[in-house]
Amino acid sequence: MTADTPSTSAPVLEAPVLEARGISKSYGAVRALTGVDLQLYPGEVLGLVGDNGAGKTTLVKCLSGVHRADAGEIVIDGEVRPGLTADLARTLGVETVYQNLSLVDTLDVMQNFFLNRELMYGNPVARALGWMNRRRMVRETTERLQELELAVDARRPVAALSGGQRQMVAVARAITWGRHIVMLDEPAAALGVRQSVQVLSFIRSMAERGVAVLFISHNMQHVLQVTDRIVVLRHGEKVGDLRTADASAQEIVTLITGSDLVVKGQDIAV
Amino acid sequence: MDEAKPPIPEAPAPADTLAGSPPAGADAAAPTGPGGVVRRGLDRASGSYRAMGTLFAVGLIWLFFSLKSEYFFTSENIFNIFLQASSVGIIAAGLTVVLISAEIDLSIGSLQALSGSVAAVIIIQHGLPIWAGIVGGLGATVLAGAVSGLLTWKLKIVSFISTLAMLGIAQGVALLLTNGTAIAGFGPTYALIGTYTYRGFPGAAVIAIVVFVVIHLMLTRTKLGLQIYAVGGNAEAAEFAGIRSGRVKLVALMISGLTAGIGGLIISSRLDAGNGLFGANDLLAAVAAVVIGGTSLFGGVGSVVGTAIGVIMIASINDGLILINVPDFWQQIVIGCIIIGAMAVDQLTKAARLSVL
Repeated sequence: MTADTPSTSAPVLEAPVLEARGISKSYGAVRALTGVDLQLYPGEVLGLVGDNGAGKTTLVKCLSGVHRADAGEIVIDGEVRPGLTADLARTLGVETVYQNLSLVDTLDVMQNFFLNRELMYGNPVARALGWMNRRRMVRETTERLQELELAVDARRPVAALSGGQRQMVAVARAITWGRHIVMLDEPAAALGVRQSVQVLSFIRSMAERGVAVLFISHNMQHVLQVTDRIVVLRHGEKVGDLRTADASAQEIVTLITGSDLVVKGQDIAV
Repeated sequence: MDEAKPPIPEAPAPADTLAGSPPAGADAAAPTGPGGVVRRGLDRASGSYRAMGTLFAVGLIWLFFSLKSEYFFTSENIFNIFLQASSVGIIAAGLTVVLISAEIDLSIGSLQALSGSVAAVIIIQHGLPIWAGIVGGLGATVLAGAVSGLLTWKLKIVSFISTLAMLGIAQGVALLLTNGTAIAGFGPTYALIGTYTYRGFPGAAVIAIVVFVVIHLMLTRTKLGLQIYAVGGNAEAAEFAGIRSGRVKLVALMISGLTAGIGGLIISSRLDAGNGLFGANDLLAAVAAVVIGGTSLFGGVGSVVGTAIGVIMIASINDGLILINVPDFWQQIVIGCIIIGAMAVDQLTKAARLSVL
């Protein structure tokens, strides 16, 4: 760990907000992660790359409390969190966009936005009953969508949206609530060129506000464009942790695929 | 290239959506665009169109029976329909909640028998006060719902099985408690629950209306309601949002236990007896009412408003068939056919709706 710290880029002088120490996870006989260490600093965009099945999504799910790691520690804001749940992670300011988007199709955009963080009326009776202030939730969702330049109606069921719109809604939700740590698993997968660019600019502006961002992508251009640092996983192990400024696409692809596939990898990447 | 875009696609976009930033707005607006207004209208209205259609069908049924029997459209008979609808309606309201959470409760009929039997044992056999009987009856069915819910949550036994088991257990317990006979003689005060009327309007229907209003508000206005819809729509996504879906489903099954208990008390009051068979056959009618009301059997979609209309439809048909002297046995056949009909209409219109969207 100490060896990594000097190699990370200039703006990162503070302590990591999110840290994985020796995370291992198996699904039955399949070993998905083996002793992975990872630090995420405020104001940085960390790219997490690796081939299919390298363990990226599993790592994110461990960090977001959805899965429980078999071994290792997750440290958030300097505190070890042995019993991390999805609910607790969210309370601690960790927001995640999963690959399958994790939106409820039968609910509308506003309901997805405020799911499990509903706004109540202020009085104690309403609070005890869990009485929601729907008007305010609709208003705030609409304002937020306009700020992010998404022409989507807050009361529209998610099932009626296009794939790209859904993806943007999921990203918008994470950006809205992720004031501290945001993890995005392939956030630009179903998006067109213009929307991808928009998502990348969201990511950059979040980091500029001091949010720590973990960004998973297969798109090497996106990774090189938006990240400060890149962590490479191969077969569930960390095989690289390098500053983006010092890295080349070749180098990363070599790490992702293993050295014997370098030439092929280069062709694919470029 | 940014300058080239705006003129054509931007022009028809609704003025209120986005004031500034044409380039990004133009792109994002394209999928919804002007057609989006129409599509949005369809999404919003599809639920209420369905309710309107069902209401229209109820109107046709009333018209039919009014023509066949001069007695049908009298206030006395309409009140009677409400009375008949009230106990089945109450359990159907609870069942709606469970179905929205993507589970099912097959035990509601048996639970009705259980609450009536427990109340009879407490009040008639042990001579305890009425409130104790009511608390005992409702407590027994809420507990039964909790057991089904815990089996579903902790042991991952699907509710189809856990509540099917509870169907047998609850009825068995009710038969044991009553020794297989009817324990009769609650007395006049308890009888008021099911038989009180104000100018002919049944008090039991008022209880049913209160249950429907409370559940409707719970589903549409409270955090719990939103969680029930979320868990039923996509349990995984709900879990990712930090909702514990098993717990929400447990609560749904307890609500269903409570409503089944209330239904059972009304039946026992009306019949002035508790017995292991009273109300046990109401499951079919309740499922029919919920399905007619447009609640999805796959979870995430539905409302008790639709269920209320469905209940009125079933009660009207039962009542009308008796008035025009159709033998009892036909009721079940007709209800079965209506379930099939409602599902068929749903499937056919779903295909049509999707092609529109």
